[in-house]
Amino acid sequence: MRAFLELYTQQFKTTFAAMLQYRASLAIWIIGQVLEPLVYLVVWSVVSGSQGGQVGGFTTAEFAAYFLALMLVNHITYTWIMWEYEYRVREGSLSFALLRPVHPIHSDVADNVSSKVITLPGMLLVAALLALIFRPSVTVLPWALVAALPALALAFLLRFLLEWTLALAAFWTTRVSAFNQLYFVALLFLSGQIAPLSLMPAWIQTIASIFPFRWMISFPVELLLGRLTPREALVGFAAQAIWIALGLGLIRLVWRAGVRVYSAVGA
Amino acid sequence: MSLLRLLWIFFRVGVMGELAYRVNFIVRLFQSLLELGTALAGLAVVFAYTDNLGGWRPDEIVALVGVYFLVGGLIGLVIQPSMEAFIESVREGTLDFTLTKPEDAQLLVSLRDVEIWELIDVILGFGVLTVALVRLGEQVGAGQAAVFAVMLLAGAAIVYSFWLMLATLSFWFVRVENILVIFQSMYEAGRWPISLYPGWLRFGLTFLVPVAFAVTVPAEALTGRLDTTTLLGALALAALLLLGSRLFWRAGLRRYSGASA
Amino acid sequence: MAPPVIQVRDLHKTYVVSEREPGIRAALTSLVRRKTEQVRAVDGISFELAPGEIVGFLGPNGAGKTTTLKMLSGLLHPTSGELAVLGYTPWKRERSFLRQITLVMGQRNQLVWDIPAFDSFELNRAIYRLSSADYRRTLDELSALLDLEPLLRKPVRNLSLGERMKCEVAAALLHRPQVVFLDEPTIGLDVTMQRRLRAFIAEYNRRYGATVLLTSHYMADVQALCRRVIVIHHGRILFDGDLSALVQRFTAHKTIVVQLGDCSDDLRAYGEVVSCEDGRATLRVPKAETARVTERLLADLPVIDLTVEDPPIEEVIERVFEQEATPPAAAGAA
Repeated sequence: MRAFLELYTQQFKTTFAAMLQYRASLAIWIIGQVLEPLVYLVVWSVVSGSQGGQVGGFTTAEFAAYFLALMLVNHITYTWIMWEYEYRVREGSLSFALLRPVHPIHSDVADNVSSKVITLPGMLLVAALLALIFRPSVTVLPWALVAALPALALAFLLRFLLEWTLALAAFWTTRVSAFNQLYFVALLFLSGQIAPLSLMPAWIQTIASIFPFRWMISFPVELLLGRLTPREALVGFAAQAIWIALGLGLIRLVWRAGVRVYSAVGA
Repeated sequence: MSLLRLLWIFFRVGVMGELAYRVNFIVRLFQSLLELGTALAGLAVVFAYTDNLGGWRPDEIVALVGVYFLVGGLIGLVIQPSMEAFIESVREGTLDFTLTKPEDAQLLVSLRDVEIWELIDVILGFGVLTVALVRLGEQVGAGQAAVFAVMLLAGAAIVYSFWLMLATLSFWFVRVENILVIFQSMYEAGRWPISLYPGWLRFGLTFLVPVAFAVTVPAEALTGRLDTTTLLGALALAALLLLGSRLFWRAGLRRYSGASA
Repeated sequence: MAPPVIQVRDLHKTYVVSEREPGIRAALTSLVRRKTEQVRAVDGISFELAPGEIVGFLGPNGAGKTTTLKMLSGLLHPTSGELAVLGYTPWKRERSFLRQITLVMGQRNQLVWDIPAFDSFELNRAIYRLSSADYRRTLDELSALLDLEPLLRKPVRNLSLGERMKCEVAAALLHRPQVVFLDEPTIGLDVTMQRRLRAFIAEYNRRYGATVLLTSHYMADVQALCRRVIVIHHGRILFDGDLSALVQRFTAHKTIVVQLGDCSDDLRAYGEVVSCEDGRATLRVPKAETARVTERLLADLPVIDLTVEDPPIEEVIERVFEQEATPPAAAGAA
């Protein structure tokens, strides 16, 4: 346990130093993460405005709140691990990770978290500025805000596990970008990024309930906004737990299979 | 005209590089269709709740999406890959080869790489916008089509100058390739008419990152919304930026070769 | 006498480099106040090249060779001094000038990666506006000299390093330039390929009378190709003349290699012992002493074999660099 703490601290320091070097890329990354929810915020505000101030249970101000919360939750749960592994497999640098006596997922998690620690203040600042401009309205439920913290942590874990497993597709195919694109399209529609899930057509909502995506993003967002009943929150936590358990099992299988393929081809 | 001849040769080189890979074509086609489908599906969700977005009718926005793909394809065809190759060549030192050739360096650099699969986007975009126009029952007369073409060219010139100016920064700064990502992120916003966005964002998307001139303005020309001020403004800006980027490029070259300022 | 192809007079190139100490405080200070230092990459050099000469530019890394080459090919503006290639001022980069020169850089490719070399050649043909006839003829000749036939249709990335270099060189010569600048052309190549490339350059120079300026830190390149050598270090020319004269002037020693039964004898009395292995001893002896030491060795020891050699050229060059601008001729042989 102690060793892991040490590992995470060290990785943190390394990522921190590296990130400071690439300040420009950080700023650019933040712009990218802000722009998409911002665009949908504007679009839905216009729609809502043209329909007398509210659409599908969301007022214009509530749309603003939704997308700002979405922006933050998406940022917190975001990973780039799928591109990372495509790069590592292509360059052969994965061999280094395989030689270490620690499962590579740990340094990946540490790297991800440390990056977020650096970028999160920037994101919060931008969110605050946008809040001044768009004037969101939120129902503040203290219990929901408290519950949102573990929900976010679990959402991050869930998303990381899933995307890490998918990243291993790089072992089997070079067409990773096509594969990634499929994933992100699914994520876009099924996790509430284009519009709150309750506004999506019924059949999409049904599909969304089968996939884990809504528990990664939509669930913590709705919790934060105070739009869930305690019962719904419990269901959400249960769903997260189940998917995380599934994810852990899946990771093991896929990782082992992947390493076999990688070493067969020659590192 | 040596410009056209060079363009043709670079295009051939780019094509030959890719034609070996038929699988690439299928995969790229799939990806383009997926992206197009996503954009249209998003539209469908939005238009389930309204029949008018900021004055634009659904099929007009579909036409906009068509222009978005068309222009995106054109940018990705030559401008983007060439500028990325240029930035790398500064870093790797292979720019020196280009500079010892008896041909204008800006020309050689701008036509360097051709990503021919982007033609898929161009064709798909063109197809979508044609379908949208048909559905609208719009009679696109020769005049309107001509204005559209001119606005496309102006938009392309503006985007090219913008990319060139950003890429020229690599004569001064090392890690410039990240900056190009800004354009790609902000280009996404061009899928919707920029008149929807609040003033400050509209300003940024017009004058900081020229997305408006690339997508919305030609789309406005096609849907009969273009006013004369915008038309003249686009042309003026195109001319201004082409000149400005050329001057900046020359300054960058002078710096690269250590000429006293 | 034909006018010189390359004329360089009192050429200078100075860079301004910013300095920074490590650490956070220095990083913050540097935002406000920049400390700069002047680096003299080329510090007043002069030389001339006659048409058809092959000259080697020799020097360690950072000596100023590549900087000089870049100024001659128009890539870099000199800080001061006069410079003319084929009568042109290189940094003006006039089209007619650029059509007559070429630059080959070792380990850097101008060929397009994914397509066969032949198609890259076509690109150069268009850029240099070569007529079909000229292009065909030159390509055929180069192809024969370099054995390019089997390579031309393969994508460049599938070629080995040596094969790629051959195609690179061919691409650079398609327009039959009169002046050829080669910057470390054999670096990274295996010995066989290095030899082939040198043989080609020599043949090309012989056939077409092109003037060749070659930079290298491989002695073998220079020995094989150049009669005349310019040694440059710290931006200054240390020597400009025949290679053999270089050896003469900069060495105060000779090497005596003597084959004995074994290494048990202490040979230090005869001279500096460089090495001794299996009875083969290498001694360094001041030039003036050579005859005397040889005599003594033959008289005192059971010598199986003995040779007197000039020290290896690498050693000579190293010594030249060590001594910078003051040749040991003034110091006199020990």
